[in-house]
Amino acid sequence: MHLLVVEDEQTLLQSILEYFAQEDFICEGVVNYASAVNKIEDSVYDCIVLDLNLPDGNGLRLLQYLRKLKKDDCVIIISARNSLKDKIAGLDLGADDYLTKPFHLSELNARIKALLRRRSQHTSDILIAGIFFIDLAARTATCDGQKLSLTKGEFDLLVYLVNNKNRVVSRQAIAEHIYGDQSDNIPSFDFVYSQIKNLKRKLKEKGHDDLIQSVYGLGYKLSL
Amino acid sequence: MSIRLLQKNMRFLLTWLPLVLVGCSLFFYVMLRIQAHHMQDKQLQLKQRNVWDAFIKTSGSMPLHVVGEYDIEKISGVRNIIPGDIRDTSIYYQDKKKQLPFETLVTYRNWQGNNYNVRTYVSSTEISHLIIKVFIAETVILLLLLFTIIFLNRYSAKRLWQPFFETMQRMASYDIARNQSLNLPVETGITEFNTLHKEINQLIDSSNIAYYNQKQFVENASHEMQTPLAIIRSKLELLINEPGLTAKNAAILQDITEANDRLSQMNRTLLLLAKIENNQFPETETIDINDLLSQLLANLQQYHESFPSLENTVSSDISLQANRSLIEILLSNLLNNAIVHNRENGRVRIMLTPSRLVISNTGKDLQYAPETLFERFKKDSYSSKTTGLGLALVKQICLLYGYTVNYDYRDGWHTVSVIFG
Repeated sequence: MHLLVVEDEQTLLQSILEYFAQEDFICEGVVNYASAVNKIEDSVYDCIVLDLNLPDGNGLRLLQYLRKLKKDDCVIIISARNSLKDKIAGLDLGADDYLTKPFHLSELNARIKALLRRRSQHTSDILIAGIFFIDLAARTATCDGQKLSLTKGEFDLLVYLVNNKNRVVSRQAIAEHIYGDQSDNIPSFDFVYSQIKNLKRKLKEKGHDDLIQSVYGLGYKLSL
Repeated sequence: MSIRLLQKNMRFLLTWLPLVLVGCSLFFYVMLRIQAHHMQDKQLQLKQRNVWDAFIKTSGSMPLHVVGEYDIEKISGVRNIIPGDIRDTSIYYQDKKKQLPFETLVTYRNWQGNNYNVRTYVSSTEISHLIIKVFIAETVILLLLLFTIIFLNRYSAKRLWQPFFETMQRMASYDIARNQSLNLPVETGITEFNTLHKEINQLIDSSNIAYYNQKQFVENASHEMQTPLAIIRSKLELLINEPGLTAKNAAILQDITEANDRLSQMNRTLLLLAKIENNQFPETETIDINDLLSQLLANLQQYHESFPSLENTVSSDISLQANRSLIEILLSNLLNNAIVHNRENGRVRIMLTPSRLVISNTGKDLQYAPETLFERFKKDSYSSKTTGLGLALVKQICLLYGYTVNYDYRDGWHTVSVIFG
């Protein structure tokens, strides 16, 4: 998988590149509009992570240019602006997703994977990882061929963990992924605890103990 | 106590004008009496001369007594009346059968060695009638004057102050949040009002600019903070994935993560507040409140382990014309508050009617004045799980759509009611 990250903030760019290097992505990063134009003219990427505010141009213009070149690379916008108008403008110009800063890297990872899956024609709704076989359209999951009966929350949690497998996913990221960010209140982690507890119990029933580990209460890791 | 400008003016006039007019009338009456007396005096003296001249001319052959005109009396010896003074007297008239008032003057004359006592009369009936008539006419004129002055004053004051009252009305309807300009006319035809309007226009323009800048500042500052927050968050995520993490470091990381999340949440809410203020949610649709409410409740029941027991009185088919995400924020904030600020084994009551939504929950009493509840960053000191912006957000959304939001605490129940429209 070939990934281009366009982000003018050097340190944030570094974090993203470091995170995705671990996902066996070939990652390239640029910090301005001009070098981004060079990159997209020269090569084809599976996915472009695009910041809208660049020092020498607007990310939306880059998106327009990309579509003019008849390239259909996946584009996910990361922006500090979170108004509906910006979102609609971005999506209208052919962006595939829109993520508002500050975001969790695990969330970005999950979104990119979802996009890439949608692009690949054969297995668009099927997620296979290790012993898991997950049908995203039918919302069913099997583990070692045995059907797991999961609630909506547990299913979303499992997909999220599978997308971020072999990584520690912070409980804040999980809470925000499932809870949304509409409310002023800091998400209650009770919910995350209980969902994890239930998921672990159901996996244990299928003979897979210790697939999910808690990391000092900071987060959880699904090892595959 | 304050009274209206026109009333004040009128009261002043009504107190002083009648006093002045009554004083003037009295003065006029006194002057009239003095002048009348003087005139009678002159008349009596003239009559004395005429009568005496005629008496001498006719060599004493004219009548000595004419009733109401004169008496000539030949006297010998003692003069029994002091002459030279006008006196009041009365004469009995047979035909009218009554005494009529007269003024009389007596002089002593000497003719052919004889002493005469000459007495002349003028009627004082006519003159006192004249005085009364003139005085009545004067009173009528003064009263007319009084009413005219009051009426004219009222009319002209009203006309004069008309632009002022219009200005006041327009200023009362001014709302800084709408960022409107008043544009008061600078040419009213009255210099003072022109100056006033110019000053007000300037004042409002500069307030608008200051308000706009402040709103922009909040929005810009929040925007600018998003990127550093994103950096911290991403670095924290990388850190928790580092091998060899110790329990001690994990605890530190957890504190940093929590603080950073709170900061992000606060920043996001501030940005949202600024956006609502800047009217960046123009899209509206018809929202089925029942539907939305039950959806949110279902989610919340799922998310909270210890969900308070719920009593629902919801009438069906209630819809609002508003922005969906804002109404979602409004409802979820109110519901979340009712759950988070509840006590153990608490209860929540929800009542929805076409005109209002009332959400009540059991809980500890407030630690601060209820009036400040909807202000930004007001929260209980023991609750670090909220940003203190939730109700400010609720208030802002209500303000946007013209809803009224009230809070009440009674018998251990916190009640927030939103009155639509």
